[in-house]
Amino acid sequence: MTDQIIRRIWPIAPISLALALITLLMIVVGANPLTVYQALFDGSFGGREQSLSTLAFWVPLLLCSTGLLVTFTAGLWNIGVEGQMIAGSLGASAVALMVAKPNPSIPGWVILPLAIVVAMLSGALWAALAAILKTRGRIHEIFGGVALNNLAAIATIYLISGPWQPPEGGSLRGTVPFPTQALFPLMGTSRFSPLSLILALVALVLVALALRGTFWGLKLKAQGKNLRSAFLLGVPSEREAINAMMVCGALAGLAGAVRVLSWFDSLRQSISGGIGFLAILVVLLAGTRPLWTLLIGLFFSALLNGGTFVHSRVQLHSSLSGLIQGTLVLFVLLLGDYTRIFRRKKTVMEAISDHE
Amino acid sequence: MRVELQDIQKIFDQVRANDGISLVLEPGRIYGLLGENGAGKSTLMKILSGYQQPTNGTIRLDGQDTSFSSPSDALCRGIGMLYQDPLDFPALPAVENYQLAYQDNLLLDLKSGAEHLRAYGQRFGFAIDPHAYIDTLTLGERQQAELIRLLSLGAEVLILDEPTTGISAEQKEVLFNTMRHLAHDEQKIIILVSHKLEEVQQLCDEVVVLRQGKLMGTRSMPSPTSELVRLMFGGEIARAQKQLFESGRCVLKMEHVTVRSEDLTIQDISLTIREGEVLGLAGLEGSGQQVLLQACAGLLPSSAGKILLDDATVKGKHSGFYWIARLAPGVFAIVIVWLLIRLFGGHIAGLDFAGGAAISLLISGLIWLIGTILVAWTDQSPYHAFQQRGGAYVPAGRLEEGLIPGLTISEHMALAAPTHTFVVDWEQIRSQTVDRIQRYNIVGQPETLVDGLSGGNQQRAMIAFLNQPLRLLLLEHPTRGLDVTSTNWIWELFQERRREGTAIIFTSADLDELLEQSDRIAVFSGGVMSRILNAGETSVDELGHLIGGQEL
Amino acid sequence: MFNKHKAVLLMLALTLMLLLSACQQAATATTEPVPTEDVVISIPTTPPVIEEPTEAPTEEPTAEPTVEPFIFGMVLVGPKNDHGWSQAHYEAGQYIEENIPGAKMIVFESLNSADKPEATLEGVVSDMVSQGATLIFTTSDEFEEDTTTVAANRPDIIFINASGDDTWDQRPNLAVKPPANLGNVMGRMEDMKAIAGCAAALTTETGSIGYLGPLINDETRRLTASAYLGARYCYDNYREETPGELKFEVSWIGFWFNIPGFTLDPTEVANQLFDGGTDVLISGIDTTEALDVAGQRAEKEEAVLAIPYDYEGACDKAPEVCLGVPFFNWGPSYLKIAQSIKDGTWEQSFEWLGPDWADMTNPDTSHVGWVNGPALTDDVKATLDTFISGLADGSINVWTGPINLQDGTEYIADGVEAPDPLIWYLPQLLEGMTGSSK
Repeated sequence: MTDQIIRRIWPIAPISLALALITLLMIVVGANPLTVYQALFDGSFGGREQSLSTLAFWVPLLLCSTGLLVTFTAGLWNIGVEGQMIAGSLGASAVALMVAKPNPSIPGWVILPLAIVVAMLSGALWAALAAILKTRGRIHEIFGGVALNNLAAIATIYLISGPWQPPEGGSLRGTVPFPTQALFPLMGTSRFSPLSLILALVALVLVALALRGTFWGLKLKAQGKNLRSAFLLGVPSEREAINAMMVCGALAGLAGAVRVLSWFDSLRQSISGGIGFLAILVVLLAGTRPLWTLLIGLFFSALLNGGTFVHSRVQLHSSLSGLIQGTLVLFVLLLGDYTRIFRRKKTVMEAISDHE
Repeated sequence: MRVELQDIQKIFDQVRANDGISLVLEPGRIYGLLGENGAGKSTLMKILSGYQQPTNGTIRLDGQDTSFSSPSDALCRGIGMLYQDPLDFPALPAVENYQLAYQDNLLLDLKSGAEHLRAYGQRFGFAIDPHAYIDTLTLGERQQAELIRLLSLGAEVLILDEPTTGISAEQKEVLFNTMRHLAHDEQKIIILVSHKLEEVQQLCDEVVVLRQGKLMGTRSMPSPTSELVRLMFGGEIARAQKQLFESGRCVLKMEHVTVRSEDLTIQDISLTIREGEVLGLAGLEGSGQQVLLQACAGLLPSSAGKILLDDATVKGKHSGFYWIARLAPGVFAIVIVWLLIRLFGGHIAGLDFAGGAAISLLISGLIWLIGTILVAWTDQSPYHAFQQRGGAYVPAGRLEEGLIPGLTISEHMALAAPTHTFVVDWEQIRSQTVDRIQRYNIVGQPETLVDGLSGGNQQRAMIAFLNQPLRLLLLEHPTRGLDVTSTNWIWELFQERRREGTAIIFTSADLDELLEQSDRIAVFSGGVMSRILNAGETSVDELGHLIGGQEL
Repeated sequence: MFNKHKAVLLMLALTLMLLLSACQQAATATTEPVPTEDVVISIPTTPPVIEEPTEAPTEEPTAEPTVEPFIFGMVLVGPKNDHGWSQAHYEAGQYIEENIPGAKMIVFESLNSADKPEATLEGVVSDMVSQGATLIFTTSDEFEEDTTTVAANRPDIIFINASGDDTWDQRPNLAVKPPANLGNVMGRMEDMKAIAGCAAALTTETGSIGYLGPLINDETRRLTASAYLGARYCYDNYREETPGELKFEVSWIGFWFNIPGFTLDPTEVANQLFDGGTDVLISGIDTTEALDVAGQRAEKEEAVLAIPYDYEGACDKAPEVCLGVPFFNWGPSYLKIAQSIKDGTWEQSFEWLGPDWADMTNPDTSHVGWVNGPALTDDVKATLDTFISGLADGSINVWTGPINLQDGTEYIADGVEAPDPLIWYLPQLLEGMTGSSK
């Protein structure tokens, strides 16, 4: 059925519309779109270094999107994924600065897994907080998430400018570089760690399998579609909400660890780099389908990495990628759900007059 | 106005919902539209009222070919439809709702609107306070307000979709008188869509019967019931015979129970139900029956009294981890006190007071968080405990509370199954589902989404998901909106359950159903429960008085 | 968007090429005439030929492929038109382009985690290198650590970090060896800040000077302290009636410029300082909020003045309240480095470069400077000149003891001139200043 095919490739629609609009905009301001796209490509996949950098940026994005697959399936708007990522990077930084730095003799194969576990735990606990605020405090996860994001950012700034300030004085830049045994093993001079990509892919496969085949996944799906019915059918909704959030938080925490232990080498001021929010966009675009999450994430990673190149080569402001992102959000909201668009008329009619 | 429907056809995905229906409706007459669920009544009326376009066929008004682009278009030409749930705005007063119809006026002329409402109300014997908010009105009053709105907009043809569901006997009487007046004195066409034969016989001048999308015939009234049933079902069907039961062990016992819900409190309820017994709850919607059922199911907490299921209270499991979360403030307080003492005795380990307080806050926060997570992981809600002990609750809203739109029948089966494996064994679930689908006569496949099922099938599906065996079955309006066959079918299933020893409590708006199916009946009125009546010794009359809040 | 200059240059180059080819065609068409005659004939028909000599520099790259291109990267922490720190660097890059034939700058603006969360120094450098850059200026203290890391990974590219101390032989941590391809440059701004402080002290009516500080580190502490020392010197020595004890209040915003959500809003902080009784505000941040606020307040008839920072043209934004500006002129030092790299004579160095006292505004010789602003009266100007000449001939050194730290401990003993490392690595603000040190 063509209907099925369209539905399957639907995520391309908002992307291509956004690109078309941006191209038009480039022509209007007098830049050559071809040059810009060439620069975008060169900056993202033009060479070994660029490709590795794109991959390095992709890994945390992939991890966050994977986590969000879980929460979106459970019908939770985990805006707090950004904060959970920060919490993870704080956890990893704590291990690097407080365990690895004073004890250089502890080998990397002990420190790195420890840092990862602590990061995942911190992310999961931070997410559990948002979940409990929702289930026990009646605070919607969006508001709770936003508040916790801010709190996590403030905590970072406090740590950078306070207890973890570098000895030479208080720049808000970040902490001192971590000892190498605490870092992910990197590929050459790039910031890409194959290990982190493997972890992210394993996470994605596990999550995809869990959502599709396990009873837990079914419970989340049920809960996401109708909380009340799911509860009445026997799903312990509070527990599952907390679990879903914690799984997402753990993966976001791992993403945070990847950010501090491979993309950077220290804790920085805005460590998340907006990846959490970007991941929300990715998952929305992908319509919570794992394979599309993978591809769209890679697309965004390339776009953002190429953006810096566009800036230095074409002198077109590097907020170009931000602009594409912004228009994308708009188009996703406009066209997001295929079914909603083409079935709208019918569903409205049915909703009004379905009284059998 | 004279309405002609010519060869109306409506096809959805190969299903012929209407198959060549031709009808002539004359002014001044009341028509009844009869047919079981899925016979095509709703579709035909949707087409006539402009919600859907026919695949084929024409509508003629006074001999002129017409097609409607929307319901408001149809209303402009004089065809208005009154829905089971009136399409109004609950948060607005009646008069503003009424005025919403006049979208052309820039300014709301509330004064003349209120006048209109009153004038019409007096004409038909409706008593609506124009300034009352819609959500404070009863369903019957909302219906009346909606009716006034349609008439004031010039409706010449009025379609009433199951108008008597959920309204009181007096309101029904007023409604029927109004309909008679409108048809016989004002020459309007009234179409009553219903599956209640007695109502149709009471009110209509002519009856149109549909079956499987086809017109089976029209009959002038009065016409014998058996004739109509034969047209509807192709044969005569008797209502299920009531089974006698022998009372067994006590299943549910309520002692002086008080339950507060958001807008209603039921007080001092005491009753006992034994194995195999059926208790019917009568009363107007929202009089306390639902509150009682939900309290039994553990969905609402009782603020006083005891609810015992098999001699034990229905309560959730609280885990032992609760004390961890409780510990947190204590830890915080201790550290603060310690810091306060040290504050006057000098510094400790480089920590000033604020720093120490912050750290102790952090630690106690962490303890609280972990404690609460553990509690959430191990606690069980009272409702789930109720389920585990053999209770079941089937709510009235099928797609709101009972089923999960977007999930298939098999997925529901997997969720509702009493035991679960970590990885779902879809093969096994599927075969179980096929089994239940056959047994419960559901039209659908294991892979069918529940929102794709028709109402009756959804209802049967909800019952199919119930586990075997059950101790107590709580049902809200189990047969609302179903035709006679489906109703009988479902009650047969329930009767089977009660033979196995399941106690049943159900609510219904249909007094006949209550009298026929229950062993005992309790009537609710404004949160107060009447004495419990023996179904065999009471009558519709007595129930009607009790529903209205009067003891005989 | 295409640069206008480039477009104009391109057009000129194109017309020139057309003209040249036209001449050549004419030359080949006439088989064997006297070539000089041909040129003579062409003059009246094509008047632009007369302008040819003045067009020569632009013609060079197209006409003479022998000029080899020299590409360098300029990484800025803020926007290139901030009227402050980043613009000063950007213009130094342009200065190199003007003075080295074939030099071309690749700019990357606003590299900071708030504006460009996805960009890293490493990524920017790799882009620049792939475009042919062989020299990269990382022009902020923010980039110091990252520059060291990136430099170690790319030994064939030379990195110059402005304001860092990794290659200084007097740094405390000598054991950590910098990569061989890393150099440091910093302007000796201390005396200029002292002049700014002096100008403020000579003009304040309330006896209260405000200092709008960025974040707190060695560099900002020593610059703030220098301004204070200059102010104290002039307040004590040049004011005839002293209104009371000098107050010097420092407020930090938390970063080099405003990042909404991360820093305090400098406009708000400036207003708070003025509200608190300050009438002269010295800016230590990269952007011009201090001057802007003073300008707005002056419009409401308030007697307030301000001193911006970093960029020679900074006074433009509100000249009527601008007492002057201490500025950096990175051009000459950057040019020297670029030239030495081109010549292959570059050596790792740490440069802490001072003013050309003879002519502080000379763009080719002075690394830092002070220009008087329009708000400076002639009387004050004369006194300020006395102070400046004292600094120039060494008779005045504001960093002479006794100088105590903010917590009261003695830092520089009475009569001793502070050595460079003690100035560079100032651990606290000084006694007499209000504001936090950490």
